Amino acid sequence: MNTSGGWKEILFNNRDPVYLQVVRHFKERIATGQLLPGQVIPSRRELGGLMKINPNTVQKAYKEMEEQRLIITEGNSPSKVTNDTELLNQIRSELLGEAVHAFVASVRKIDVPIDELLLLVKRTYEEAPEA
Amino acid sequence: MNRYLKLVHMEVHRFRWVLAALMAITAICQISALIVTVLTELSRREERLSQNIGNSSAPVPAKDPLTFEWVMMITQQWFSLPILLSIAVLGLYAFIIWYRDWIGRSTFIYRLLMLPAARSNIYFAKITAFLLFVFGLVSFQLVLLPIEQLIFKLVLPADLRADSHIVEVISINQALAMLIPRGFEQFLYSYGLGTIAILTIFTAVLLERSYRRLGILYGLLYLGACGLAVVFPILFLGVGTPGSSFFPEEIFVIVLVMCALVSCVSVWLGMRLLAGKITV
Amino acid sequence: MIEVQDIRKRYRRRDVLNGVSFNADKGEITCLIGVNGAGKSTILKAVMGLTPIAGGSIRIDGQAPGPKLYERIAFVPDRLTMPTGMKLAEALRFMEDFYESWNSERASELMRFFGLSYSDRVGSLSKGTAAKFNLLLGLGQDSDYLLMDEPFSGIDLFSREAIMEVFTSELIEGRGVLFTTHEIGEIEHLIDKAVLLQDGKVSRAFDCEEMRSGEGKSVIDVMREVYRA
Repeated sequence: MNTSGGWKEILFNNRDPVYLQVVRHFKERIATGQLLPGQVIPSRRELGGLMKINPNTVQKAYKEMEEQRLIITEGNSPSKVTNDTELLNQIRSELLGEAVHAFVASVRKIDVPIDELLLLVKRTYEEAPEA
Repeated sequence: MNRYLKLVHMEVHRFRWVLAALMAITAICQISALIVTVLTELSRREERLSQNIGNSSAPVPAKDPLTFEWVMMITQQWFSLPILLSIAVLGLYAFIIWYRDWIGRSTFIYRLLMLPAARSNIYFAKITAFLLFVFGLVSFQLVLLPIEQLIFKLVLPADLRADSHIVEVISINQALAMLIPRGFEQFLYSYGLGTIAILTIFTAVLLERSYRRLGILYGLLYLGACGLAVVFPILFLGVGTPGSSFFPEEIFVIVLVMCALVSCVSVWLGMRLLAGKITV
Repeated sequence: MIEVQDIRKRYRRRDVLNGVSFNADKGEITCLIGVNGAGKSTILKAVMGLTPIAGGSIRIDGQAPGPKLYERIAFVPDRLTMPTGMKLAEALRFMEDFYESWNSERASELMRFFGLSYSDRVGSLSKGTAAKFNLLLGLGQDSDYLLMDEPFSGIDLFSREAIMEVFTSELIEGRGVLFTTHEIGEIEHLIDKAVLLQDGKVSRAFDCEEMRSGEGKSVIDVMREVYRA
């Protein structure tokens, strides 16, 4: 099944709600292009089995994603990733923003001039092999 | 009803090998004792005949024909032994039929108590199965006797034997006579008392299973009380007791009533314990 | 809903259960957590009517435990419940004979999934296979509730994984699951509700996701607070 690849590798932490971690995982997949707009996502049952979490948690995550309009479920047909480009861009900037915030928060402790930091970031980003 | 019968079948199924073994032991013991005795006697007669010496101390004069009754007399122990063994095994099994569901790697009692049927079915299935074992063994013995008589005829030349009646044959062996009483009334008394005893034991076991360590005491007390209830009229009101104002018939009725009471209380208490007090 | 209300039980002059109360809802996985000897198994047995209680009440959808309920509530103890001399096929037949709620189709599916053999005898099963077979006997019933006593302990890794897979499958979807464990480790993400037992009482009962979002604590964090204090 083409939808099931890569779902197993997610590692949950125990202190954040599992369903929110699932939602975040979906956002990351969408932002990185592993999930394309309009793509069918695994059913609730499948995902529960793949991620080794109970069906209620999956249900909760899907409900949350539906509320955020991240996925669309029409009638009895399988859920799909939204085609709403604006929303998709928003997810991208949301994740990016979170990552930058975290980065800045940890770097701020080290007193470093912004120009030097930007230069360092640029160099590291270019040198690093592509994921 | 259906579930009760299934449980009875289940209990019989679980005991089938022991039952088969007991039957096999009985058949082997009795038939081989029969054949060995007859053959030994035959060879002894032949010996005596060839030596031509008449020994006055021989149990049966050489010319007399042999009877099946005579064989039964001689082989008394070998006939009684498997019967006593069966009684001992069954006596033990009155306890094991319950304890085997608790003890060991598999605790079947969990399943039995979780069956979607009244728990009284478990009790009745076990008592029914037990009575089936008893009557199964008794009827096996009954069927075995004519077969043994047939074997006796086959082993012995016709001119050396005399016919005998099976009823006389049974009365010669004490164990057999006890097992298969001559009168129907006697049959009712002995097997009725036996059944009451088993019911009492069942309830005593359930007392132990419900209250565990304290239950051992309760069980023993219960057995004692039931025993006393049945024996008491005979001992203290009975015939020959000085000052007894009861006729023997009255004593008899009192004992009967006591027996009925003991069985009713046993069954009732057993049900109660199974329904609400039993613990796995 | 399984409602356990203030139940009490003494065993060998010790209060094993000293007023235990909690609920387990249908469609949720509730986990009874406690150290060995905390009375977890006793609670499950009491819910199933396999041991009497000295006080309190137990209701399953408003009914007291009894033979009628056994079609709707299945119990998977931590031991074999079929005679050792029976073949697995005979044991399945027995279940089919006695339970109207028995689903033979699902039972044979599970026989395949767990890799069990019909001709094996119950007594010859290894610990892990015995646990799988036990679970099969519980899951084979179309019951509303499923009770399990320590389904993950004392068995090999692969049996454990197979059993965990059942927890995340449609096999338990919609049922109320109540199980006991003394270690939470790898099953933290499987459960909806946790009930922590200590000294014969419920010291904490909570919804795991709410605990995580409300207080940022994992089940293990809460256990640490309770049992280390």
